[in-house]
Amino acid sequence: MRSKRFEYLDQRPVNQDGYIKEWAEVGLIAMNSPFDPKPSIKIENGVVVEMDGKCRDKFDMLDVFIADYAIDLDRAEEAMAKDSLEIARMLVDINVTRDEVLYYTTAVTPAKLVEIVGNLSVLEAMMGITKMRARKQPANQCHVTNVKDNMIQIAADAAEAAVRGFAEMETTVGIVRYAPFNALAIMLGSNVGRPGILTQCAVEEATELDLGMRGYTAYAETVSVYGTEDVFMDGDDTPWSKAFLASCYASRGLKMRFTSGTGSEVQMGMAEGCSMLYLEARCLAVTRGAGVQGTQNGSVSCVGVPAAVPSGIRAIACENLIAGMLDLENASSNDQTFTHSDLRRVARSMPQFIPGTDYICSGYSATPNYDNMFAGSNWDADDYDDWCAIQRDLRVDAGLLPASEEEVVAARNKAARAIQAVFAELGLPEITDEEVEAGTYARGSQDMPDRNVVEDLKAAEDMLARGITGIDFVKALYKGGFEDVANSIFQIQKAKVVGDYLHTASMLDSDFHVISAVNSCNDYHGPMTGYQISPERWEAIANIRKAIDPETI
Amino acid sequence: MNQELLIRQIMQEVLKNMQGAQAAPATVTAADYPLGETMPEKIKSASGKALDELTLEGVINGTLTAADFRITKETLELQAQVADSVGRKTFGMNLRRAGELIPVPDARLLEIYNALRPYKSTKAELYAIADELINVYGATVSGNFVKEAADVYEKRNRLKK
Repeated sequence: MRSKRFEYLDQRPVNQDGYIKEWAEVGLIAMNSPFDPKPSIKIENGVVVEMDGKCRDKFDMLDVFIADYAIDLDRAEEAMAKDSLEIARMLVDINVTRDEVLYYTTAVTPAKLVEIVGNLSVLEAMMGITKMRARKQPANQCHVTNVKDNMIQIAADAAEAAVRGFAEMETTVGIVRYAPFNALAIMLGSNVGRPGILTQCAVEEATELDLGMRGYTAYAETVSVYGTEDVFMDGDDTPWSKAFLASCYASRGLKMRFTSGTGSEVQMGMAEGCSMLYLEARCLAVTRGAGVQGTQNGSVSCVGVPAAVPSGIRAIACENLIAGMLDLENASSNDQTFTHSDLRRVARSMPQFIPGTDYICSGYSATPNYDNMFAGSNWDADDYDDWCAIQRDLRVDAGLLPASEEEVVAARNKAARAIQAVFAELGLPEITDEEVEAGTYARGSQDMPDRNVVEDLKAAEDMLARGITGIDFVKALYKGGFEDVANSIFQIQKAKVVGDYLHTASMLDSDFHVISAVNSCNDYHGPMTGYQISPERWEAIANIRKAIDPETI
Repeated sequence: MNQELLIRQIMQEVLKNMQGAQAAPATVTAADYPLGETMPEKIKSASGKALDELTLEGVINGTLTAADFRITKETLELQAQVADSVGRKTFGMNLRRAGELIPVPDARLLEIYNALRPYKSTKAELYAIADELINVYGATVSGNFVKEAADVYEKRNRLKK
């Protein structure tokens, strides 16, 4: 006979998820693996001849790259000799500054980084993130996609997301050839909602760079690195090709970050018997070695793997922390759907939500889950009010603000009309008034009329062939009567000439002023230091739309 | 010490000297950042336009084109100095490598990136690209970086078969 209690529990969402016991020998372990390499370094005449127990003649491609580029060798011997537990305690000690921690953590090997954070509880890792986050103020990023690649909806959803507070936005495609339209729609729509939003379009590496060169995007993120050589090869890249790609972006004045995360290697069966966190520490060392300003990490699209093993969500917090320990900008994932349980998905995000990261989600889905083309996100548009209520409950600024129906509808409508005008000016397939209205009031693509996809794709290809650039978008917006949006897109193109926003953890405010970890570096060192919510901002966070004024009762 | 190690050390020294010779004396720091606000007069676009000539009006009346919105090697060098001043040396190096790549046309840059992917090129092909970067575009650091990649690919068996 079955227990009715257990019968009921078996039906609960948490029990629809997958779990697996550790198998450290093959790398099916989040962190603290007995099989991880032991930290070591030996330097002869300025060259690393041994790292993490391996001699130079046994180095694989990643070892060579990390040893030659990633570790500050001037301080390496001193930093490696420092007790890992002592450095772990520095991370949570309010009397030790971020710079004092960086002195050691930018001069150690991947195994040492993992040994340091292996001493931390999840709460201590969160305290570490509070201090080691690069930028003083946290921010948030969203995904803006839909299953139809409908550009009117992308523009409208991006405008709404900007009103709600996202500082950065990412789109991708269902059909690859739609990429130019999606990139245009998100850049234009987001800047209707709030001037100065930075946008990207995630597609294959070379295509993504091409879109950036044409001025269709402001930054790139889908530049993946991996923790073992075999998986790197499987991703069709090497540390050298990726570092070269990073320089290509900067040569065109484009901001970029790499992407990596725990679980990708063991998922491919190529973990070389190392823990997920150790391999991620290698990815982050490659990122730093390549001279890239930041990382999108936190398991990202492999979240199901660490989430299935013990201490996996703690490991994700630790990989975000290591990004900060390497002085990298951190867009901290919280993106892909990994659980059926609403309780688990909230708990998974708290280690980034509470301390704040440079971009807490990367990203939060600005659409219903069914429209998210990154295989769903942990948070979506249907959760906007939940996110705002949790910020209010905990007095946390996690990047969003409550928004009224009127302002959201107005922003969506303006964005839909703006893309209608740009399409007309650029001779692209017509966007009808019916589509503008549908985009204004839509929740998702199920509310959008179908378009002639064949005609759209032909026009998108033709737009590239005609050599239409971001500067042409500016002209089209201006001629279409959207001078303010034209100015925003113009300012973003101009930012690429100056290069201030190439720096670590940058974002633009609505006056196109760059805020980054150069002019606004995190200076947290205990209570009432670091980022403090201003009275005005707290007022905005606290006034969620369902809050009743006691005087009215 | 084995021979490979010796060669590596020599390469590193050569690279260090070349980088040292190319880097201008530090003139800007984080205190000057954002450079676009504190020293706009020092920033020009690749087409030679001063920053205050880059206006919305210029775009609308057609006096400015996309070619006027490209960053210069000099600006990237200034940004690299800002990076150095806050201890972000590897980031600064990336910006300097990038500065060298500005004259390489978009299409050629994409081809070189693809050639650097695993199993895509022979050692001779990568060395030829390195020579092109150095001799045609003056991209010495990136050229040597490509040679280094070729050597590592050879050792790790990742060249075109």
